[in-house]
Amino acid sequence: MSRRLTRRELAALAGGAAVAGAVGGTPSPAGGSGRRPGVVGVAALAPGEGGRVDGAAADRAMAAVLAAATGAPSAAEAVRLLLSPSDVVGVKLNCLGGRNLSPRPEVVDALVRRLVEGGVRPGSIILFERSSRELERAGFTIRRDGDGPRCYGIDNDWDRTPSESGAIGSCFARLVSESCTALISFGVVKDHDLAGVSAGLKNWYGVIHNPNKYHDNHCDPYVADVVRHPFIAGKLRLTVLDGVTAQCHGGPAYRPDAVFALGRLAASTDPVAADLWAWRVIDAERVRRGLPTLEGAGRPPAFIATAAGRGLGVGDPGRLAEVEA
Amino acid sequence: MSQPVDRRGFARLVAAGAASAILPAAGVGARSRVLRVGEPVEGGELPAREASWYRRLEEGRVECELCPQGCTVADAERGTCGVRENRGGTYVTLVHSLACSVHADPVEKKPFFHVRPGELALSWAAAGCNVECKFCQNWEISQFRPEQVRATYLPPEALVDLARRAGARLTAATYSEPVVFWEYVRDTARAARAAGLLPTVVSNGYIREQPLKEVLPLLGAVKVDLKSFRDEFYRDQIRGRLEPVLKALEVIRAAEVWLEIVVLLIPTLNDSEAEVRDLARWVKTTLGREVPVHFTRFHPTYRLTGLPPTPVATLERAWRVARAEGLEYVYLGNVPGHPGESTTCPGCGEVLIRRVGFQVLANRLVDGACPGCGRAIPGVWR
Repeated sequence: MSRRLTRRELAALAGGAAVAGAVGGTPSPAGGSGRRPGVVGVAALAPGEGGRVDGAAADRAMAAVLAAATGAPSAAEAVRLLLSPSDVVGVKLNCLGGRNLSPRPEVVDALVRRLVEGGVRPGSIILFERSSRELERAGFTIRRDGDGPRCYGIDNDWDRTPSESGAIGSCFARLVSESCTALISFGVVKDHDLAGVSAGLKNWYGVIHNPNKYHDNHCDPYVADVVRHPFIAGKLRLTVLDGVTAQCHGGPAYRPDAVFALGRLAASTDPVAADLWAWRVIDAERVRRGLPTLEGAGRPPAFIATAAGRGLGVGDPGRLAEVEA
Repeated sequence: MSQPVDRRGFARLVAAGAASAILPAAGVGARSRVLRVGEPVEGGELPAREASWYRRLEEGRVECELCPQGCTVADAERGTCGVRENRGGTYVTLVHSLACSVHADPVEKKPFFHVRPGELALSWAAAGCNVECKFCQNWEISQFRPEQVRATYLPPEALVDLARRAGARLTAATYSEPVVFWEYVRDTARAARAAGLLPTVVSNGYIREQPLKEVLPLLGAVKVDLKSFRDEFYRDQIRGRLEPVLKALEVIRAAEVWLEIVVLLIPTLNDSEAEVRDLARWVKTTLGREVPVHFTRFHPTYRLTGLPPTPVATLERAWRVARAEGLEYVYLGNVPGHPGESTTCPGCGEVLIRRVGFQVLANRLVDGACPGCGRAIPGVWR
């Protein structure tokens, strides 16, 4: 059913038009040319003692992938291409997997440091998830105020009316619809029993009130419809994937026997390409273990091609460019 | 007209409960906790109980066998209802004894027009629904997860206690979708029966045969929303299917539990004369001409805000079509004061129960029969 867009949606859409244009090579809202369709910057980042990552190593890897993802000479310049100092930057973390299968706090901290280095005000960075409880379980400390980056859950702060986007109709988190002017998806690389892959795109299911309604048909076209909503597509600047460890089977929950040391950190300004890359590495590990590919298992992440068809990025594996940083 | 059970009522309940027992939430896993009767639950950990209708699959997955959605659910995930979760291969319900809405309503509000007219029904809901009607009037509780909705810990006995205090002779699981809290419905129905109350359910009828049959013997009446007589409508507007609902209606009727049907007529979507005729014919031939059918008026809400309210003329046309097809008890709803709200004797045409809105102005039934011609009027009158 068609519907008149709200003023907020129109405003977001105006930003989104610029972003959508940027995927095609026109300047981003921040004024730079940081968008590189199909490009995924990847850097080695190995887990150390107890699975933790050394902070300095995370810093180096983060700087490298940001530069590779944007084509900028440095991480600071990459951030300046993607974001402006006036942005309120929401970083959506995927913490469903708990401490063992969520973005590592030390890697997230590395992103925060790079954002600040690139001119984003620390107090304008909001790390968030569906609930504060999930963040705490994944090892994050809740911070709702102060001068530094904030970190808290949506905690039921939803829009009062649902928004339509293709096949979905949902109340979005007000953090996304109202508070943030720019968004970053910070996911992990894991198998999903229904969707096929849970990486950067499906992470956005966490910002709608009714994700349980949209898991049939392998979450397709629903994932794409969530992401293409102006609240997200209009603000999404970057996808970062913590692939230090990944999971090739049995997701989305943590499953020890299906986790493997991928040893990679990835970033892309193209959210579809980022998921395409995640699909590729998950399938590679599945084949290595003698498991069928996701397609062979009957759950290819079809939403990736749908997202590409919606103009959200590059979905053709032949155009995926993995740039080793 | 409904009477919300207020904070003071809950406070009394807490006091009463504390004197007798502090009830543990039967839990699965480390996340269970002890709750007191009447304790508010919002946004925190939810009490979990193992669900009744599911089977375990390989690799820790489960398949829900409660409703036709038939969700296959991986660990840490939930079904489409949002209230049942796989916890390490055990499927749990997160809404048993968590009431998010409690009111003492006139039974006419359900609506039941052939069940104890003028009586109060202690009506309650837990969060969640197994479909997604774009026109849901109660979407703020049905389309959210339990942790997103303010609720109160009210086990079945506490609900029955509230019913007694409110002077209600019926209980009604309603507002959201009772199918998703079917264990809570079952246990409350048992408690209500034991207390001499009549347990009822207001549902979309989107439930599998087995769980329905298990609970039906406990119920005194069921109202089913038959949202359309076209599968296309069920697919597009509801994210469900028509056939399971028709099957459920047959099962309810075969169990001889009192049944009333509500059809919300939505302009351009399900209000054609042909569809109303098909529906009426099916009800008459499959369920019986004496099953009451209520045609009710749509008001724009939730995701369906671009359509106008149903014209009264459309409702009246549906009434005429259904009557012409032979249905004996056809009503109109959401049109307070309309003659279509009243019960008329199919034998002599006398008005037997006169209603305005949810209020009964006159009830002329004598021992469940028309005082004019003596015809027995089916229903649950006592």
